[in-house]
Amino acid sequence: MKYVDEFRDADLGQALAGEILSLVEPGRHYKFMEVCGGHTHSIYKYGVDDLLPSNVELVHGPGCPVCVIPMGRVDDGIALAHEEGVIFTCFGDMMRVPGSNGSLLEANAAGADIRMVYSPLDALRIAKQNPDREVVFFAIGFETTAPSTALTLKRARAEGIENFSVMCSHVTIVPPLRALLESPDLRLDGFVGPGHVSTVVGARPFEFIPADYGKPIVVAGFEPLDILHAITMILRQLSDGRCEVENQYKRVVPYEGNQRALEVMAEVFELRPHFEWRGLGFISHSGLKLSEAYADLDAERRFSVPGVRVADPKACQCGEVLKGVIKPWECKVFGTACTPERPIGTCMVSSEGACAAYYNYGRFAREREVV
Amino acid sequence: MIADRASVPACDEHHCITCGDDGDPMTVVRVDPDRGLALCSDEEGARHTVETALVEPVTPGDRILVHAGTAIAALPAQDESETAPA
Repeated sequence: MKYVDEFRDADLGQALAGEILSLVEPGRHYKFMEVCGGHTHSIYKYGVDDLLPSNVELVHGPGCPVCVIPMGRVDDGIALAHEEGVIFTCFGDMMRVPGSNGSLLEANAAGADIRMVYSPLDALRIAKQNPDREVVFFAIGFETTAPSTALTLKRARAEGIENFSVMCSHVTIVPPLRALLESPDLRLDGFVGPGHVSTVVGARPFEFIPADYGKPIVVAGFEPLDILHAITMILRQLSDGRCEVENQYKRVVPYEGNQRALEVMAEVFELRPHFEWRGLGFISHSGLKLSEAYADLDAERRFSVPGVRVADPKACQCGEVLKGVIKPWECKVFGTACTPERPIGTCMVSSEGACAAYYNYGRFAREREVV
Repeated sequence: MIADRASVPACDEHHCITCGDDGDPMTVVRVDPDRGLALCSDEEGARHTVETALVEPVTPGDRILVHAGTAIAALPAQDESETAPA
């Protein structure tokens, strides 16, 4: 399969692993963060971590949009779903994220009309098919997904579909990275940068990482060889004494991003002054809301939502996992009280969440380490 | 080939296209320029309606990268593609 087979070639993988081994300095510990949940998933799924020397550590960043949604937002979504006449639509993983009083899946079982969709366009189609109902789309995701929501809102406006609205929980990638870099308890040597977010924003917005914090970042694709290649490129920068933004995923990511996507986002969204991230707290200018021009399609204005801030469960250490301070298995409830079937924290919900990825795949590697 | 440790389902309650930052390569089959949509085929041959505003113009046979029903990037033609890293 084009773009797949050649990026999963085992011989090339071994060659890259050999190059990585030749680039690391014995006695030095390297700690790299993969920002994107998709990378976390690929690393565990394909055992990329098994090919790395023991002194190269990968820590998992906040790049899973489901993992960063705070409980209060889930409660708001459930409240909207229970509104009379509402069909509430969302992506699959949001269904299982625990709020303070259950998940959307449980609200669905309790009678709310909640439907899983694959795209905002699907939600709009449901609105067209149900003109006597109000259809709300729970929009989550980084800049990869936000243009899709923006284009759907423009389409709703152009087609005069009035029974469609959006509960906007889109987030932006740069502010949480800056917050992480400001965190005193996190020492990182470099970043594997997000791939598909960068098709939209480009690689340029990450220039502050080498410029302000002196860390290399390599934007990477999602196949196992992409990730190994990116790690090789970071190590080569460190070995050469360079520190810059590099683009391993040039076959898809233009350095300047997709201008049309940026323009449509600028038209439809505006930055919230603050947005709460689970485990990371409030981060300035890190969330999007609908602009005044699209305020009539904002579900939070069309309906009343509780908007109550809910503290994360005390036992849950998702925040420290999201910051890469602890490994998933170091959380007190990992694999015992918190499992993919009954998650306490969001990192255990999505298969791209660090805890679920580790629970599903990585624990085998850890068992080998223990032995 | 580096093998999967386990199969991973497509988008359902256990996997989210958004969280995975998924991008699915597809081929344009038919274009509806008036509506800004295209009928596209994924690598398994399944058909999808895709928003094409971010990559227009597209013509049948073009390869695009699709996320959440929207084409977010044009892909190079097969014979122009670069090879895997070595």
